[in-house]
Amino acid sequence: MAIYNGRLPQIDVAETIRYAGLRQATDFPKQYVTDACLEVQLVAEPKGVYEAYDYDAATGTIKSNPPLIVEGSSIRKHLEKADKVYVLAVTIGEGVELRSAELFKENNYTLGLLVDAAATTAVEQVANQVNDLIEKEAAKAGYTTTWRFSPGYGNWNLNVQKDLAAIIGTSHIGLEVTDTFLLFPRKSVTAIIGCIPKGALDCEKNGDVRPGIKRGCSSCSQVNCASRKV
Amino acid sequence: MYIFDGAMGTMLQQSGLVEGDCPELFNVEHPEVVTGIHAAYLKNGSDIVTTNTFGACGLKLADYGLEHRVAEINAAAVKAAKKAIAQVKPSAKVAGSMGPTGQFIEPLGQISFDEVYDTYYEQALALIEAGVDFIIIETIIDVQEMRAALLAARDAREKLNKTKEDVKIICQFSFSEDGRTITGTPPEVAAILMDAMGADVVGINCSLGPEQLIPLVERLASVTNLPISAQPNAGMPMLVGRETVFPLSPEEMGSYVPALLDAGATYVGACCGSTPLHIKAIAEAAGNHTPKERPEIAPFTAFTSRTGFVKVGHTEKPIIIGERINPTGRKVLAKEIKEGSFAMVKRDALAQVAAGAAVLDVNMGVPDVDPAAIMKRAIMELSMLVDVPLSIDTMDAAAMEAGLKMYPGRPLINSVNAEPEQLAQVLPLAKRYGATLLCLPLGRGDLPATAEQRVELAKEIVLAAYENGLRSQDLLLDPLVLTLASGQDSAVQTLRTLAMYKETFGFPTVMGLSNVSFGLPQRPYLNSQFLTMAVSHGLTAPILNPLNATVKKAFVAARTLLGFDPAAAEFIADYGLDEEGTVTSSASKKVATVSFNSDDPLENIQHAVEQGEKELVIELVEKALADGVDPLKITKHALSEAMNVVGEKFGAGKVFLPQVMLAAEAMQGAFQTIKRVLPDSGGITRDTVIVATVKGDIHDLGKNIVAALLENNGYRVVDLGKDVDPEEIVAAVKRENATVVGICSLMTTTMPMIDVTIEAIREAGLPAKVLVGGAVLTQEYADKAGADSYAKDGITAVNIVKKLLGDD
Repeated sequence: MAIYNGRLPQIDVAETIRYAGLRQATDFPKQYVTDACLEVQLVAEPKGVYEAYDYDAATGTIKSNPPLIVEGSSIRKHLEKADKVYVLAVTIGEGVELRSAELFKENNYTLGLLVDAAATTAVEQVANQVNDLIEKEAAKAGYTTTWRFSPGYGNWNLNVQKDLAAIIGTSHIGLEVTDTFLLFPRKSVTAIIGCIPKGALDCEKNGDVRPGIKRGCSSCSQVNCASRKV
Repeated sequence: MYIFDGAMGTMLQQSGLVEGDCPELFNVEHPEVVTGIHAAYLKNGSDIVTTNTFGACGLKLADYGLEHRVAEINAAAVKAAKKAIAQVKPSAKVAGSMGPTGQFIEPLGQISFDEVYDTYYEQALALIEAGVDFIIIETIIDVQEMRAALLAARDAREKLNKTKEDVKIICQFSFSEDGRTITGTPPEVAAILMDAMGADVVGINCSLGPEQLIPLVERLASVTNLPISAQPNAGMPMLVGRETVFPLSPEEMGSYVPALLDAGATYVGACCGSTPLHIKAIAEAAGNHTPKERPEIAPFTAFTSRTGFVKVGHTEKPIIIGERINPTGRKVLAKEIKEGSFAMVKRDALAQVAAGAAVLDVNMGVPDVDPAAIMKRAIMELSMLVDVPLSIDTMDAAAMEAGLKMYPGRPLINSVNAEPEQLAQVLPLAKRYGATLLCLPLGRGDLPATAEQRVELAKEIVLAAYENGLRSQDLLLDPLVLTLASGQDSAVQTLRTLAMYKETFGFPTVMGLSNVSFGLPQRPYLNSQFLTMAVSHGLTAPILNPLNATVKKAFVAARTLLGFDPAAAEFIADYGLDEEGTVTSSASKKVATVSFNSDDPLENIQHAVEQGEKELVIELVEKALADGVDPLKITKHALSEAMNVVGEKFGAGKVFLPQVMLAAEAMQGAFQTIKRVLPDSGGITRDTVIVATVKGDIHDLGKNIVAALLENNGYRVVDLGKDVDPEEIVAAVKRENATVVGICSLMTTTMPMIDVTIEAIREAGLPAKVLVGGAVLTQEYADKAGADSYAKDGITAVNIVKKLLGDD
């Protein structure tokens, strides 16, 4: 288990606009969005934890202690070529939720709503930072990494959250899983990244046989998602 | 020029090291194997061999339960290396390797700076005691870890009464393809900081191949005169099967060596994937090449953060040091800090950076708070939040050290004066942590009134600083700003001091402005005038409030007038659109986009609500009421109508949720205005609605939106929050006499609680209507669960409630 907390010197305004569903609302006053990003910077407490494990793609087994078998065709497919995986979890703490709720109570509905979007941007940024670290660590050993796959994507059941959190010890960053398999604090991410030997990829010319390497919205099955980048 | 060696790990694996075993234990258990590897490198041209101790600090050895054998393992490693040297090349040297601990120092990670320092100190002591000629701290990706390791190595060397003539310390970072360490530090920052902290050699190893290292070596050489080492991998690794393969052959590696040497490297070796044959090729290529002469870098003063550096001096563009993070005279800030909140500190930090501060001064002078603890926390919070360098502003030595230790860069210390106790405490700290130091010409006696007296005091401080090993580029001077009230020529003396400093020392200068106008009217105006004069007399870095428009404008103007703003581009960008005679920046002006000039006040109000113009709505409602418009008419015809229009547009995908909320806020503003102006006007008061997120679910954003919209429509909303028991909801319906209950669930895992909650409400025999919603819910599910209705969004929810209650 390694701790890497990441930093938030900026929160991406364009991403926040996207999460807020405002991409087409060009006349919306941008000041609200930048104010929301600032609010999040003030109260967010970014934290992250990750760990690498050997992985057996044939049985879908993460060789943690105790081992964890991943169930579901989409995650299995995602990790099809991996022989090592990283499990990661990040959170920006409960402060952002409390701030959003507080703003609603003060009748600052718009800012409260946008703080939630900015918090989503922030937690993704922190996840990206840990992801970047993992990608570079894996590259040193000759691996290409897949994009990060979270419980709830495809048909990977949310009920894996508890086991996933347990193997990397998310309690070290104050992240818990409720009995209903939700992450608390809410602005948190757990995910898995597959490591695929670079040599294995370079032997194959056909683009389709690189599961998990294609990134971004185009690879996601949620085609009606409000935040989807077209 | 010196030729280093190549990889150790792969060589050990070829000699029988099994994956999962401790490579460093070979020093004790199979020293002949380790000696053999060193010998192979020496035979192929290495001048320096690196001990097999990359992971031999206590924190790493603990992975194998070997943390109690640090001294033994490190000593055995040095012995094995020396044996090879004696056999093959007696002139060769030994470098004791110290690799990363594998953990990040707080606040980026969890482990403390002192723990990391301690583990490196233990290892460095063992290596130096065993007789190494170099300590090589390598493959470091976090500048904080390097700082801890360098301090530990220096302290261990001093402890064993050795000097840099006996043991040189090499500091090698690993950079990624984007030219930064993984934690964001570029080569220039690394070199400036290592130079200031007393490294003997700075360099790069691992992660990249030789081709990628060449420009990075050039960047190191652009800011330091320290010798540079470069030890690339044999190209970028690939994994084939279970084997990591490095693509570059010995000849290919060798072909890059001339360019590495020309870029400024004088210590050249190799890292992962290299073999004795690679070293042979490197040594031959180096022997056949006469490198270009490395240009001498003139000393310059620079501050660094983790991610960037800022130069300051008379040939550089003047910079702003932001003054706001200072509780002196700011009661609210002082109170917040005392209570442990850093929200205002963070807000001030971000606002000042946005307003153009290049450095932030951090003063935590709050009474009755442990100064060291609070400074440590402030530096931790701010170093994670902003990318500009910090200035540690304290007189307390313990607080100063706490801040310096936590800061992953080269900060400014603000400040030291000429008092002997101060000098004795502060100068060694500045040297130890590689900080820059602001010298304040104050001594034991009276305040120095004249420029001549100040220059004399500054000389005393500068000489003492030199005696402590500080260099000219580490020092900045404060001319001392006294209030005009203390003497009519006090400002003149400050300006004269600046001019004399420039002539006598040539160091950068720093001063706070605001003292000059103490007790006078029009302070920002006076300060700004004084600022312009001071910059023209040689002030390079004023400490000021960049959020003050008057002062900021004077600063930008001074920079332009003194030739630091080519074609006045910055001045034009910042102020080009301002009306003549104003001081505020045009960028901050709010432009009203829509006019509301219908003759019908209700129509104006309606449009203002639709546009979410909250302030305007309040004005319009006040005016309408004053003109005798019936408040009920305002509510029914203007406000409700506006929300209907917004709701329709939302349904049609023409406006978006944040815009709906803006309109709702405007409507709320209108309601409150009516209430304030005509408390007895009544208005609409409708039924009570209970809202809650079901047990097990913690998502409340959607519920908050629905609650806000319902309240706006005149309903009394009782919000029970999230994760609410069915029993609690039932009790609330009874207690509040509610006619509608809205419950939501966002996830499939919590959806069944919708059924359970509805059942509980029905079982209690309550007549309340149940409305359900949430991302995963559907009409079908709602029907099955026995809900009275389902709403897909907040607007629909309000319409449904109205319909259920016949309120339309």
